[in-house]
Amino acid sequence: MMQARTRRSVARVVGGITTVVLFLSGCGALRDDKGRPLNTLSPKGPQAQRIDDLVRPVFIIAGIVFVFIHVAVVYIAIRYRARDEDPDPVQTHGNPRLEWGWTILPAMVLAILAVFNVQSIWQLEQRDSDAMKVTVVGQQWWWEFRYDTDDDGKPDIITAQQMVVPAGRQIDLQIRSNDVIHSFWIPMLNGKRDAVPGRTQPWSLEADKPGIYQGQCTEFCGLSHGYMRMEVKALSPADFDKWVENQLKGPVEPAADSLEAEGKALVVNRCLSCHQINGLDDKGESTGSDRPVEHYRGADHPLTAANAPNLTHLMSRNHFAGNMFDLYEPGSALKGVEPVGVPKIDNLQRWLQDPHAMKPMAADQNRGMPTLGLSAEEIRKVTSYLVTLK
Amino acid sequence: MALVTARTPLELTSGDNVQPQPLGVFARPTATTGIKGWLFSVDHKKVGILYGAASLFFFLTGGVEALLIRTQLARPGQKLLSADLYNQVFTMHGITMIFLVIMPMIAAFTNYLMPLQIGARDVAFPRLNAFSFWCFLFGALFLNSSWLLGGGPDGGWFNYAPNSGLLFSPSHGIDFYALGLIITGIASSVSAVNLIVTTINLRAPGMTWSRMPMFTWMSLVVQFLLLFSLPVITVALFLLMLDRLFGSSFFNTALGGDPMVWQHLFWIFGHPEVYILVLPVFGIVSEILPVFARKPLFGYPFMIFSGIAIGFMGFGVWAHHMFASGMGPMSVTAFSLATMFIAVPTGVKVLNWTATIYGGKLKFTTANLFSMGLIAMFTIGGLSGVTHAFAPADTQQTDTYYIVAHFHYVIFGGSLLGMFGGMYFWWPKAFGYKLREGLGKWHFWIMMIGFNLTFGPMHILGLQGMSRRIFTYSANQGFDFWNMAATIGAFIIAVSVAIFIWNVWVCYRDHRRNPVACEPDPWDARSLEWITPCPTPVHNFDTIPVVSEVDEVWHRKYGHDEAGRPVPIATRAEVVQKGDAEGVHLPSPSYWPIVLSAGLPLIGYGLIFSLAWAIPGGILVLVALFGWVMEPSTDPDAGHHDEHPSDAADGGDAAAELEGSEEAEVADQAEDAKTVELEGAPVG
Repeated sequence: MMQARTRRSVARVVGGITTVVLFLSGCGALRDDKGRPLNTLSPKGPQAQRIDDLVRPVFIIAGIVFVFIHVAVVYIAIRYRARDEDPDPVQTHGNPRLEWGWTILPAMVLAILAVFNVQSIWQLEQRDSDAMKVTVVGQQWWWEFRYDTDDDGKPDIITAQQMVVPAGRQIDLQIRSNDVIHSFWIPMLNGKRDAVPGRTQPWSLEADKPGIYQGQCTEFCGLSHGYMRMEVKALSPADFDKWVENQLKGPVEPAADSLEAEGKALVVNRCLSCHQINGLDDKGESTGSDRPVEHYRGADHPLTAANAPNLTHLMSRNHFAGNMFDLYEPGSALKGVEPVGVPKIDNLQRWLQDPHAMKPMAADQNRGMPTLGLSAEEIRKVTSYLVTLK
Repeated sequence: MALVTARTPLELTSGDNVQPQPLGVFARPTATTGIKGWLFSVDHKKVGILYGAASLFFFLTGGVEALLIRTQLARPGQKLLSADLYNQVFTMHGITMIFLVIMPMIAAFTNYLMPLQIGARDVAFPRLNAFSFWCFLFGALFLNSSWLLGGGPDGGWFNYAPNSGLLFSPSHGIDFYALGLIITGIASSVSAVNLIVTTINLRAPGMTWSRMPMFTWMSLVVQFLLLFSLPVITVALFLLMLDRLFGSSFFNTALGGDPMVWQHLFWIFGHPEVYILVLPVFGIVSEILPVFARKPLFGYPFMIFSGIAIGFMGFGVWAHHMFASGMGPMSVTAFSLATMFIAVPTGVKVLNWTATIYGGKLKFTTANLFSMGLIAMFTIGGLSGVTHAFAPADTQQTDTYYIVAHFHYVIFGGSLLGMFGGMYFWWPKAFGYKLREGLGKWHFWIMMIGFNLTFGPMHILGLQGMSRRIFTYSANQGFDFWNMAATIGAFIIAVSVAIFIWNVWVCYRDHRRNPVACEPDPWDARSLEWITPCPTPVHNFDTIPVVSEVDEVWHRKYGHDEAGRPVPIATRAEVVQKGDAEGVHLPSPSYWPIVLSAGLPLIGYGLIFSLAWAIPGGILVLVALFGWVMEPSTDPDAGHHDEHPSDAADGGDAAAELEGSEEAEVADQAEDAKTVELEGAPVG
């Protein structure tokens, strides 16, 4: 009898340990970033790491309390199940000492954790002295990134979908919105910060190593919120300098009488009323500079599609239309600086044909890409020009 | 002008001469049965049942919306719903479950039980009570009529500006949102005042604050939360309505407005709202667990004070919904700390429930299973809540499925499980028969499996980066597996709900075919509502009981031996009243509550479509207001008048209390008090 009981309790202990080990290894597996490009549990930069360091002990303590309460409820359910022969229980009305105990003890644990919490809140607001400034602008339903390389207060690079940063250097973000509230979030690099119209919101991120880090708009921003993504491409400092050099160049000029030149004429005619190509104004006249115009078409339009992605270096990115659709064939997406992939032309052609079939938009209300009604031949010309914009 | 016509009295008079009081414009309704008995009733029990039925109806609506959402998200890239429709469906799912399911279900319990638990014959303002229900129902139907009139609101239940503006949401959906919630808000505000006055003024003799049942305590706290938080959302909704319908620019940045104002106003309401949804259920569980553990609630005073503490602190944590909004580190620090410490009183409640069942003699009825299930499930929701009290962590978690998991563990694992427990527990009180225990247990276990399979995986999805409110996701994001699991879980929940409905139906059918009188006090329960027979007679109490204990009914049945174990001193049949009193004055039915309520949605349609609709609505409201004020709350022809000199001594007459006057009859009813002195009496 005694032995049987011992054996049973040994079995229980072993079972319990196995469960805990399985549970913890399950938790460990959650931290894996393979196939999970948005995993908040695989920090890849100091800000995300700081958050992870703060929350990990909280998860562990919460886990202990969880196990304690659940074991207690199950134990009580088994142990105190009503059996007919049992007398009614003693009518205990409470135990103030115990109750004060379980009021004060959690409060003290929380008070200790609060110190680290407050510390983290303030540390995440600090900026390195050499941090690089990038202005982030959200609009329905894509992100724009502006770089001021010569500190003259005007942007020198305007790009979209993909923010390119040097690895190992803090990026000081100024987040803005052109229409509704969005939220900028690269989970592996930092938490999120809302883009609120009328405000400039400070935020930061930093990638330890070169790589591509995915993001998703996380404040519900209307119709195509689910299709508003972005990514951060971190490059080695040398590669980053090369990228900047390329971005500062003007657009590629097609050879006269080529298919690309016809495409450019169509783009000038049909696209420039919303999209910018550096060096050209919205009529296609030269601006006399290779730099982008900050307020293309004269002003910050509060929401209209006049705010469309800058196309000057379209093919230096991996994706388009809210970072949703590939610009390059699978496997040839750009990792470094040199645009060497095979363009996925059919995606661009489908987009020009009928953008609303690919992404929900409200172009009739000036929100999103309109259907242009181009012929197949025209689309072929336009795409042949677009893929030269590296 | 027609006067009130003479007819058979609704209730028997006390024998005094009836004074003719020609005040009414139309004849008053007299029916107490049939459809008219429901439409014009001011009986708090009927109003409570109506609230419950409406809530269950909308629960099915919101459930269908949930299934649509889950089906859309079952696999990546599904196109069952368009992005536009998906946005409407998730918006209406949230609004429906919060405003049209949980809140009215709480109103159902509070309306039905609170007067019974404090020993009152009705609420303080019975016609206002009926008005609250009809106003809620018409507001809810108005809100849902948007589906047929150009599409539902598509801005999320939180409806952040400026996405809620005309520029970004040109359909009428958000107008329905603003006006519908203003109308249901009127219902809740009126009800809050009514129930607060009732709890303060209509308690039976001896029902002191420290003897009040825990459910009544928690609903009192909640009525105060409603009273103070609803005006804030109402202001926000008015600003939204003015922006959309009349071209003002409170939230339009381009014209000097500020969208952050909406966020603050919304969450100053929205966070207390969370406690509005869950505190009454804490009360329900605090009633059920002691009954089936056969032990008093552990730490009654602690439970009261923690409830009040939650209520107070609940007003000081709203901005934790806005940690990512860029308020600045000082505000973030303040709200983060406040949020961490609101976990303390909530934790006290969980531990006190655990201590209540510890050492008990646990009977696993369905009601008890749901209550113990709540302890386990709510704990998960509470703990995940602590993890996002840490503001930096919240910047990773907010607006992801981790939050969806969290609040479903609170609102489903807390509110809804507790409410199902409450339904199984008080069903015999309201209808005179129990729901089947066997089906109930199937309901419970299948619901637990489905619930955990649906919302458990959402923790993982959220931490792995799945955002809320996205109409689909891609195959390369690693969300496929757990989304499929969650969808399967959602359909398992649907099965459990079907079992519940089947249970209600078969029990109703069996009871109709073969009515068996319900035994008195079928659960051997503790609080005052069980002193009345099942179902509760229309006049509630034959004589108003005099209260001398917490758990009054239990103490009338049991004394203590030296060891502190209960010793029977009276049978249930002896303790429970017969329900056969005569000559009880009750408030009379009235047309005006439903007529007044019917005018409000018409005004709403008028504001949205054409002011022509507002004219009949306005006329209805004016006529109903006029009729209402001209009509005495109790029909004089039914044998009552206000200055009745002997009311106070007329032990069975609640009329004095119904007018809110002093309860002077305590001493006269001492013979009703229980006579056994107990050792180690509880607090109070």
